[in-house]
Amino acid sequence: MDQRLEGLATTAVSVLLSGVFHAAVLFLVAAGLQVVFGVQKIFNLACGSFYALGAYVGVSAVGWYVGAGGPPALFIVPLALAGLAAGAVGVVVERGLLRFVYDRDESFQLLMTFAVVLMMEDAIRMTWGTAPRSTAGLYLAYGQVRFLGATTPVYNLVVIAASLAIALAIGWLLTRTAFGRIIRATADNREMAEALGVDMRRVYAKVFTLGTALGTLGGALVIPSTAAMSEMGIELIVEAFAVVVIGGLGSMRGAFVGALAVGILRSIAISVYPELEMLLIYLIVIVVLVVRPRGLFGGAAA
Amino acid sequence: MTRRSPATPDPLRPRELRDNNTSRRQFLKLLSAGTGAAAATRLAGPSAYAQATGPVKVGVLTIRAGVAAPVGAAGLRATEWWTERVNKAGGILGRPVQLVVEEESNPKDTVERYRKLVLQDQVEVVLGGISTGVTLALGPVAEDLATPWLSWDGTTQKGVEETMPNPRWAFKSVDNEVEAIVAGILTPKYFKGIKTVAGIGNDYSYGHDCWESYQAVLKRYIPDVKFVLELFPKLGVTDFTSHIGAIQQSKADLLMCSFWSGDATIIMKQAAAVGLFKTMKGVFTTAGGVHDSLKKEFTPEGLLLGYNTMYFDDPKASPLLKQFVREYKAKYNEYPPYECDHAFFNAESYKVAIEKAAGPGKKWPEKAQVVKALEGLELESLSGKRSWREDHVQMCNFYQGITTHKNAYDFVTISPIEVVSTKQAMKPAGSKLFEWINGWKV
Amino acid sequence: MKGGFIVVALATAAIAAAPLVASTYHVLLMLPFMAYAVVLLGLNLLFGYTGLVSFGHALFIGLGAYTGAFLTTHGKIRSLEVILVSAAALGALVAVPVAALCVRYVKIYFGMLTLAFGMVFYTFVLKFYRLTGGDEGTPFLRPSLLGLSLDAMPKIDYLVGPYYYYSLAVLGLAALCMWRIVHSPFGLCLRVVRDNPIKAETLGIGVTRHRFYAFVISAVYAAVGGALLGPPTGNVDPTLAYWTHSGNIVFMTLLGGFTSFFGPVVGAFVFIYLQNWVMSVVPYWRLIFGAMLAVIVIFAPEGLMGLVTRRRPAPAARA
Repeated sequence: MDQRLEGLATTAVSVLLSGVFHAAVLFLVAAGLQVVFGVQKIFNLACGSFYALGAYVGVSAVGWYVGAGGPPALFIVPLALAGLAAGAVGVVVERGLLRFVYDRDESFQLLMTFAVVLMMEDAIRMTWGTAPRSTAGLYLAYGQVRFLGATTPVYNLVVIAASLAIALAIGWLLTRTAFGRIIRATADNREMAEALGVDMRRVYAKVFTLGTALGTLGGALVIPSTAAMSEMGIELIVEAFAVVVIGGLGSMRGAFVGALAVGILRSIAISVYPELEMLLIYLIVIVVLVVRPRGLFGGAAA
Repeated sequence: MTRRSPATPDPLRPRELRDNNTSRRQFLKLLSAGTGAAAATRLAGPSAYAQATGPVKVGVLTIRAGVAAPVGAAGLRATEWWTERVNKAGGILGRPVQLVVEEESNPKDTVERYRKLVLQDQVEVVLGGISTGVTLALGPVAEDLATPWLSWDGTTQKGVEETMPNPRWAFKSVDNEVEAIVAGILTPKYFKGIKTVAGIGNDYSYGHDCWESYQAVLKRYIPDVKFVLELFPKLGVTDFTSHIGAIQQSKADLLMCSFWSGDATIIMKQAAAVGLFKTMKGVFTTAGGVHDSLKKEFTPEGLLLGYNTMYFDDPKASPLLKQFVREYKAKYNEYPPYECDHAFFNAESYKVAIEKAAGPGKKWPEKAQVVKALEGLELESLSGKRSWREDHVQMCNFYQGITTHKNAYDFVTISPIEVVSTKQAMKPAGSKLFEWINGWKV
Repeated sequence: MKGGFIVVALATAAIAAAPLVASTYHVLLMLPFMAYAVVLLGLNLLFGYTGLVSFGHALFIGLGAYTGAFLTTHGKIRSLEVILVSAAALGALVAVPVAALCVRYVKIYFGMLTLAFGMVFYTFVLKFYRLTGGDEGTPFLRPSLLGLSLDAMPKIDYLVGPYYYYSLAVLGLAALCMWRIVHSPFGLCLRVVRDNPIKAETLGIGVTRHRFYAFVISAVYAAVGGALLGPPTGNVDPTLAYWTHSGNIVFMTLLGGFTSFFGPVVGAFVFIYLQNWVMSVVPYWRLIFGAMLAVIVIFAPEGLMGLVTRRRPAPAARA
C-alpha cells in the first residue's frame, strides 16, 4: 500500500513539475502577446517568431561565451542578456512597420504582424541556417534535484523561477510605476489618456519593445532545455494562442493562469491518456469560447 | 474607434463599391497581360525524346523550411557535390549537369513545383522528395508525366501498396520501416532480459509504422514482451518533459524512439537531465540523422543508435566516403548525415544508367531506356554498394551500433557497428510486411 | 454597366482560350487560381462587404477538400457534382455553429476565434490518422464530370481539358451567384452592417444575423473551392487547414483589393503567378512576400484594383 502511494506521489510530482515547466515556457511566450494586446489592441502573430529569435540568439551568445572561455556555471548571464538585447528588434519592427498602420482597421494590423512572421522566418533562416541549434550540455550544468521520487533538472526550476519573477516584475511594473499606470490607462481608454497628455507614439514604441523583449527573453531562457528549430515560431503561436484564449486577451493574470492550465492539463493528458494531448487543449479552448468567450480574465469583447 | 480625420478615405468604408467600368477594363488588361505572358512562354510538352545537346537539366526538390529542412539541405549539398565532381570530369557523356532546384513544401505546392520542373524547365529527371505526404502525392504525378523520378526518402507501406503499386517512372527509396526492423533484430542481441518496452515516435505514418514494425519484429524474438506505453507527439514539439515523466512512470526496461530530427537531440538532452537511461535501455532507430548534435555530455554510452544508410565514421569507409566527409565538414562545419548518400546514389545511378543505356554508340538514350537501365543497376555509392531493385525500390546497407564516447569528437559515435543489408531487413518485392515478418525463421 | 459586362465576357473568353494558347504548365496554374477565386469570392463577402476578417477560413477549404477525398477514396463516389454539393452542404453545416459563436465578436476577436477553429480542425485531421490519413492525407481520386468517367485520359490532358472548363464553369456560376447576392437587398444590408452597425440595428437590420449569413455563405464558397483544389494534386493533407494557409488567402484578397468585386479574383491570379515565379528564382521567397504584404498594407490597402482605379496616389497614413 505504501509503495503504491509512493508511486502515486512520484507520478503526481512528476506531472506537476513537468506541467509547471511547460507552463513557464508558455507564459513567457504569452506575456509579450498580452502586453501588446492590452495596450495596443494588436494581436501580434509574430510573438512566436520573436521567441524563436531569442532562442537562436541565445544559442549563439552561449556558444560565443563558452568559446571565449567563460565559466560554464555562469552561462545563464550572457544568455539572459542576449535574450533581452534581442528585444531591440521590437523597436525596428514597431518604428519601421507597425506604426504605419495604427490608424488602420485592426485587421490590417493583424495582417502586418503576419507579414512580420513571414519575414522573420526567412531572416532567421538566412542567419542561422536550417539545422537545429542547441547549447549542448549546459542544460545539465546545474545538476538535478529529487523530490518524492521524481527527478527534475535544476535548470527547469530556474526557468520556472525566472518566469515567476518576470510575472511579478510585470505586475509590479503595471501597478507600481508611472509607466505602468500609463499602460493601464491607455489600455482602458486611449482617448482619455491622450487627452491627458500621454504621448501615444512613445508609449506604443515602449510597449511593443517590452512585449518583444519578453518573447526574446523567454526564448533565450528556455533554449538550453531544448533546441532551436526551423519554423518553431509558427508552431508556438498556436499554443500561445490557446493560452490567451483561455486566460483572456490582454490580461497578464490570464496569461499566467491560462499557461498553468494548458501546461498542467497537457501534462496530465500525456500521463493518463496520451492520445488526447493537444486535442484536449483545443477542446478546452472551444469550451471556453462557448461558455465564457472573453476567457477567464478577459475584458469586453464586442 | 478610429483615429482618422474625415478627409482620409477609409479603406473599409468606401463611399461606393468600385464596380465601375474602369475597374473591369483594368481587370481585363491584367488578365490579358497574364495570358499573353503565358502564351509567349509556350513550350512543347515533355518530349519522349530527350534533347541530346546542351546541358543535362536535372531537377532537384529540396525541403527548405520546417523540421525536415536539415535533411533537405543535406540532400541538396550532396547533389551539388556530385554535380561538381561530374562536371569536372566532363559531365555525363560530355554534357555538363545543370541543377534546377525547387522547394519541397506541402503536397499541393510540391506537386506544382514538380510539374514546373518537368513541363516548364524540361528537366530530364527529378531527384528528391523526402516527406511522406509529399512523396505519396508525387507518385501518381510522376507516373503521369513520364519522366524518371528518383526519390531520396519518404516511402511508407501505404505509399508502396496503394498509390504506386507498379511504378514505371518512379523510383522509391528504401522502405522506411527498415531501420525499425533492424533495430528490432539487434535489440535482443545487445540487450538481454527485456520484458517491457515503451515507444515514442512522431505522430505521422513514419512514427507509427516504425513502432508497429519494431513491435512485430521484437515479438518474434521475445514472444512474451509487453509494450507498456506508446507516445506520439506531433512533429515539431520542443518539450518532452511530460513525455519523459510518463516513460519513467511506465518503468519499462527499454525505450524505443524513432525521432530523426532536432527532437531527437531534445529528448536525449531532457532524458539525460532526469537520468532516464541510467535505469532504462534506449533504442534510437534514426537519431543518427542528427548525429553531431548528440553531444557526449548528455548522450550516454550503451544506447543502440541507428544511422540509416550512411555512417560518416565507418572505419571501413571507402576513399570516396572519406573524401566526401572531409570536404563536407570543411565546407559546412558539420558531418554529413545519411540523406547525403540517398542523394548521391540517386544522382550517380542516373548518370551510370545513362551511360549504360547509351551503349557503345554513346547515343543519348530516351527516358524509357534510362528507366530500363536503372532497374537492377548496382554501383559503389558513398557508403558501399547500392542498387535499384526490379520493382524500383532501393537496396543498400543500414548502419546501427552501440553508442560510445571513445572517439575524438565531442559527440557520440558507435562501436561495435552492425551492417545489415536490405536483403535481410526489407520485405521482398510483392510481399506484405507483417506476413513476411511473421514468416521468419527465428 | 453594359461596358462592364463586355469586359467580364472578354476576360472569361481569355481564360477559356488559355488551354489553347498557353503552355501546359501555366494552364495547370490556372486550376488553383480558379479554385482560390471561388474561395476568395466567398471570403470577400465576409471581408469586403461585411467588414470581418477571418483567419480561419482554411478550415472550410480543408473541409471541402477532405469531403471530396473521402467520397472518392472511401465512398467510391466519383461524381464531381455530388462532391461539390456535399462539400457545400458540409461547409454550411460546420459553419453554422462556428459562425454562431464567432459573429458575436468583431475585428480582432473575430479573427482570433476563427483562427482557433481553424487550428482545431487541423489538429483533428492530423491526430486521427487512421481516419484521415494524418500527415499523409487522403488521396483525391479523379472525379467524373457530368457522369463521364475520364479515367482513361492521361491526367495532364484531363486537367487542362475537361477539368479546366468544368472549374471555369463552377467559377462562373459562383461569381454569378455572388454578384446577385452582393447586389441584392441582403448585400446592401451587409454594407450597412459593415459601415455602421448601430444605424443598422436602428433600421431593423439584425447585425449578428446578417454577419451569420455572410459567414455561412463564405464558408460554402470556401468548401467548394477547397473541393476543386483537390484533384490537380490528387491528394489532400492537413496543411490545407493550417493557419498560415488562412493568412495567405487573406493576403490574396488584400493584394487584389477587397473593395472591388473582382479584386480578390485578381489577387488570386497575381499571387499564384508571382509566387510561382519568385519561388523559382530565390530561396528566401517568404521574406519577399512578407515585405510585399507589409508594403500593400501600408501603401496600397485597397490592393491592385484600388491602385488602378485611383487617379492620384494614395495619401500617406498618419503615424
